[in-house]
Amino acid sequence: MKLLSSFKKELILASRSFYFYIELIFALVILAVLLFAVPENFSSTSTEYLYLNLPKEVKEIYTDTILESVPGIEPEEVELEADGKTYDAQLIVTDEEEIYIVDNEEAVRTLAYSEQVIGAVIELDDNNQPYYKYYLQGYESTRLKNLISILFNESTDVLEERIENQEVRPLSTDYEPLNDRENTLPPLIAFSGSLMGMFVMASYIFLDKNEGVIKAYAVTASPVWQYLMSKIFVILLTTVVSGLIIVMPIMGFRINYGLFLLLLLTTGFFASSLGLLIASFYNNLTKAFGVVYLLVILLMVPSIAYFIPGWDPVWIKIIPSYPLLQGFKEIILPNGDIAYPLIASAGFLTAGIILFAVTNIRFKKTLSV
Amino acid sequence: MEMIKVEGLYHSYLRNGKYAIKDVNFEIAKGEIFGFLGPSGAGKSTTQGILTGLLQLQKGNVTVAGYNIKNISRKMFNKIGMSFEQSNVYSKMTAKENLYFYSRLFDVKTRDPVELINLVGLSGKENIKTGEFSKGMKHRLTFARSMINNPSMWFLDEPTTGLDPAIAADIKDIIKERNRKGVTVFLTTHNMFIADELCDRVGFIVDGEIKLIDSPKNLKLQYGKKLVEVEYVQNGNVKKETFSTIRQEDKNALNKIITSKEIRTMHTKEATLEEIFIKVTGRGLV
Repeated sequence: MKLLSSFKKELILASRSFYFYIELIFALVILAVLLFAVPENFSSTSTEYLYLNLPKEVKEIYTDTILESVPGIEPEEVELEADGKTYDAQLIVTDEEEIYIVDNEEAVRTLAYSEQVIGAVIELDDNNQPYYKYYLQGYESTRLKNLISILFNESTDVLEERIENQEVRPLSTDYEPLNDRENTLPPLIAFSGSLMGMFVMASYIFLDKNEGVIKAYAVTASPVWQYLMSKIFVILLTTVVSGLIIVMPIMGFRINYGLFLLLLLTTGFFASSLGLLIASFYNNLTKAFGVVYLLVILLMVPSIAYFIPGWDPVWIKIIPSYPLLQGFKEIILPNGDIAYPLIASAGFLTAGIILFAVTNIRFKKTLSV
Repeated sequence: MEMIKVEGLYHSYLRNGKYAIKDVNFEIAKGEIFGFLGPSGAGKSTTQGILTGLLQLQKGNVTVAGYNIKNISRKMFNKIGMSFEQSNVYSKMTAKENLYFYSRLFDVKTRDPVELINLVGLSGKENIKTGEFSKGMKHRLTFARSMINNPSMWFLDEPTTGLDPAIAADIKDIIKERNRKGVTVFLTTHNMFIADELCDRVGFIVDGEIKLIDSPKNLKLQYGKKLVEVEYVQNGNVKKETFSTIRQEDKNALNKIITSKEIRTMHTKEATLEEIFIKVTGRGLV
């Protein structure tokens, strides 16, 4: 009953405070960005500027070869502007490239420089063999430079033969990847939902410390843990609402919402308990800023591993946001591993309970007169 | 029967042997108003903090309202009320919401929030957010909140600080009225006038040590001068004389003046509590 009264009071206070709306507005902004700015799949089309310094017949053969590679495409005559000059070009758009064939080498050089892309000139050498001249930006990796060297020093037939003889066997046969928009969801839910709770919780406590109301609560018949828990309930409520705002329009009914809410609640509980613990050491947000900032940076590190799967050192797995991200990913994957979010939830719940218990002791011990 | 019993109480904030209070001993009887007087930093708030459970008991024995503070029970707080020196109410909630919320945190029958708001002179302000209140209004609301659970043990920390004289008089009347109904009061203040007016006994604390405990009346008898100062009219002129209340010849002379002259003013030369405090502790109250 007292806990319920405290929860109602916290809801009133939250509804009249700035932080409550920040979380919800933040969720709506993320949703808008995901729906209207982030495509389902990022385009991988590259742009190239080519000058074919070749006899007319060879030039036609080269162009026809490109056109034949993708049936149905037609070259288009366009005008390009760069460095105050206008250049005529023939545009050929394939699935992977936009190729602009220009009339002279100076155009290639100018366009490559102004558009910051690769430009190439194809000529015949003294032996009537193709000779390739590339205009790079200078910051390309050695790997790319080596690749370009290999491509034109090794017979294409040899490369094709090698590629065809490569056997590629996927380890997982029932793996359905997420599209690019869905793939960005786990970090956004983790940081806007669960981890934002840490920051907002600390802010709520600092507001109360500023008003001295914790002392007033401490001389009532209600235990301090109920005061703390009522704040956690409010954070969990906003975490769930903001999490659903982001996830439902993107994922529809394709995910297990029971599992999603379980992970959201347990991670939210963990994060808000962490926020409580931090707040127990300081009197205001300014003094706590350094610690909060360092913690946020640390918790963001696993998102690097999330977007670069090849970089996944063992130490990163002990940072709490790692299982948080992976847990959310397993939930939204069509064939995700259910056990992972369940184990992660149990871990976050246990860690949250320990943090909460320590925080409760600290709050009782650090009350002042 | 004592409501508060304190024996050998020590407290060190840094737990380094530097004590904010040391060897504090006193008892407060049920229905008594006990004034805890001392300058800032003397140890008043530390003592009160331990008695109300805000500070952890480190060394000594303390019982409040029959509860041992060593293993504090939340039930104890059903019996005690605490009015803080620094008002501490939720500024984003109205006066009524504030008191209503606190009324739900006790296991005993609580008082009507609006009745308490009216009692402290905040009628008509119950639905205004306390963030819009003046410092004095917040202080009165904090005072009102301390009565929400009808406490039998009432801790008051500077209850009239920052209030204008009329409101302060109302607050004193409320304290007297509650005391008449049997409420025990632990009053922490550095205001000797309110202590003199309200307290059955006072304790002087300086540098964490209690220097003296007695009733204001006894202290005045003990430390006041036994003299009477009289202004009277003689041959058309106002004359001023001082007489001892002990020496027989002075008593006779005073009696003669009273019976034969026109008396303008007559005062016993009582010492004020502040004067007694300075005399006993060698320190001022600020």
